[in-house]
Amino acid sequence: MTFNLKTALIASTAVMGAASGAFAQEQGTMKIGITQNNVGVDSYQTTYERAFIEAAEANDAIDAVVLDAGGDVARQIAQIEDLIQQEVDAIIIWPTNGEAVIPAVRKAKQAGIPVVITNSNIAEPGFDFISSFSGPDNITQGARAAEIMCDKFTDMGIQDEAQIVQISGQPGYTTAIERAKGFEDRLPEVCPNVTLVETQPGDWSREKSQTVMEAFLVKYDDIDGVYAGDDNMGVGALNAARSAGRDGIIFVGATNFSVGYEAMARGEYWGSIYQSPVDDAEAALKTAVDILEGEELPFLNYFDTPKITQDNMDQFDKPVF
Amino acid sequence: MATITRSTITNVLAKQGILIAFVLFIIGFGLANSRFLAVDNVLGVIRSSAILGVIALGVTFVVISGNLDLSVGSMMSFSTIVVLDLHDKLGPLMAIPAMFALTMCLGAFIGFLVGYLKLNSLIVTLGMLSAIHGLTLTWSGGKNMDIADKQGTWFGIFGRGDVLGIPVPILFFALLAIVLSILLARTPFGRKVYAVGGNGTAATFSGIPRARIVFLSYVISSFCVACAGLLQASRSLGSQNTVGQGLELEVLAAVILGGASLLGGAGTVFKTVIGVLILGFIQNGLLLVGLAFYVQYVVTWVIIILAVWLDIAAKRGRFLSPIA
Repeated sequence: MTFNLKTALIASTAVMGAASGAFAQEQGTMKIGITQNNVGVDSYQTTYERAFIEAAEANDAIDAVVLDAGGDVARQIAQIEDLIQQEVDAIIIWPTNGEAVIPAVRKAKQAGIPVVITNSNIAEPGFDFISSFSGPDNITQGARAAEIMCDKFTDMGIQDEAQIVQISGQPGYTTAIERAKGFEDRLPEVCPNVTLVETQPGDWSREKSQTVMEAFLVKYDDIDGVYAGDDNMGVGALNAARSAGRDGIIFVGATNFSVGYEAMARGEYWGSIYQSPVDDAEAALKTAVDILEGEELPFLNYFDTPKITQDNMDQFDKPVF
Repeated sequence: MATITRSTITNVLAKQGILIAFVLFIIGFGLANSRFLAVDNVLGVIRSSAILGVIALGVTFVVISGNLDLSVGSMMSFSTIVVLDLHDKLGPLMAIPAMFALTMCLGAFIGFLVGYLKLNSLIVTLGMLSAIHGLTLTWSGGKNMDIADKQGTWFGIFGRGDVLGIPVPILFFALLAIVLSILLARTPFGRKVYAVGGNGTAATFSGIPRARIVFLSYVISSFCVACAGLLQASRSLGSQNTVGQGLELEVLAAVILGGASLLGGAGTVFKTVIGVLILGFIQNGLLLVGLAFYVQYVVTWVIIILAVWLDIAAKRGRFLSPIA
């Protein structure tokens, strides 16, 4: 029995080695563990997990351990400790909380295991313990949204008088803060005469955003544009404008969802930022593999999130989420 | 003559303290922003509050019978997702009754656990909060649920339509409030709900089937949740899995604000409606005034405490009521 097992192990290692080139011949397979934030809570995370597993299976040199923290910080810390015990070669973490996971990340670093943070970064005190961050650049996303909005106003000839409102993501979330900052910093550079009259949070919720927009529409007679922190909130605001009969408002969002894509196809929603969970997952896995193969990587290893508007949407597939 | 008038006024004050608080806030916000009282805005706020309101009507029954229901938020997410999914699979005509049946099964299950197994309602519904959320995610696979053909369906009439200029959700809310108000205040069943919550032992000795009353109050609550899910789904024609998240606490706040006792036995449907409207108008009023959101959290709390205190002060006829 023992003999059989040993033979099988040797045989499989040899097959893997032959299949996957020089690295694998020296080291065997790469065992990469991932602990995700909360799979199943939204379509983005669901699609991310599927894409990650597919990418890992497509590469014979990778042996992936895929875990999910279910949004629970304590469970995620336990999972990181488990992965350290299993002596994986690298750990990928989608943090449930940017502060609370730092001690566990430090433990991994002390055990000599490189850590890659995916999607949303941990807080700065933890930067010393991680090898790289792989994810979207939310400041650039905000800045690009400002450019999309400004370009459209310039086309319409209202770049000197337009008034806009902003519906931001959940207060306290890094993604929400960075997108708002990117937008607010870039807008006066490209369109100095456009006024941002008010910002209120929509908490990533379509319903909350719709309620906020209804109040904006009552309060301001003249709204030319709305910037929403993601398309879900953007479509909520669009619903409010449509039921109030206020046409001609330019809606720009981020993280193009299928509802946003459809509204763009109908000509009701102007533009967004295309962020694919498939790219996100593949970038995280590639970052981990590159680190294990000894490549030099930038500390903030962003994947590209291009602008999408009614004009160029035919170059993009409809998002699956 | 004069004394009669005065005692009448005191009586009205004591009974309707929360209504007076409500009117005061409306006047205050109306002075702060002239658009607050515009017809469009008022209709808009009531329409937005209708979803919370419809749920609060049902929870009023549960609270008066002396129990809690913390599962209504995730139950509403469930009914919203289910009706949207079935809309494309079965068509709207079949999807709506199917969703009501499924949601009311959940309510009946909770009612069975609390009424017939005598389990603590806080524990049961807190557990159901996560369990139903899990059920919703399993149903949808974590994906947002959207109706494919948004232009070609009549399903939007519940959330988006209007009759003679009044939005349908408001009519729905009003109609349900009237029916449930009659059920609670004018029928033997309603009186039994008060009796069970007010003094359970006395109710038993009076021959009231306590278990059945508690069971039915949860079924009513889940029926209201299903109505709210229908309004929500019809209003946005698409939804996230977390659409009702956190709603259970807002609903409880509205019911308690309306004067229902957490210990059971007291409360009315009308006062719950006032509680719902206070919460809705505070949110809208603060947005119109344009305070930063972190200030809004604090001010919301201040206004709620002010309302509760005004209610109690009017009931007791004095401002200070120290614990003695």
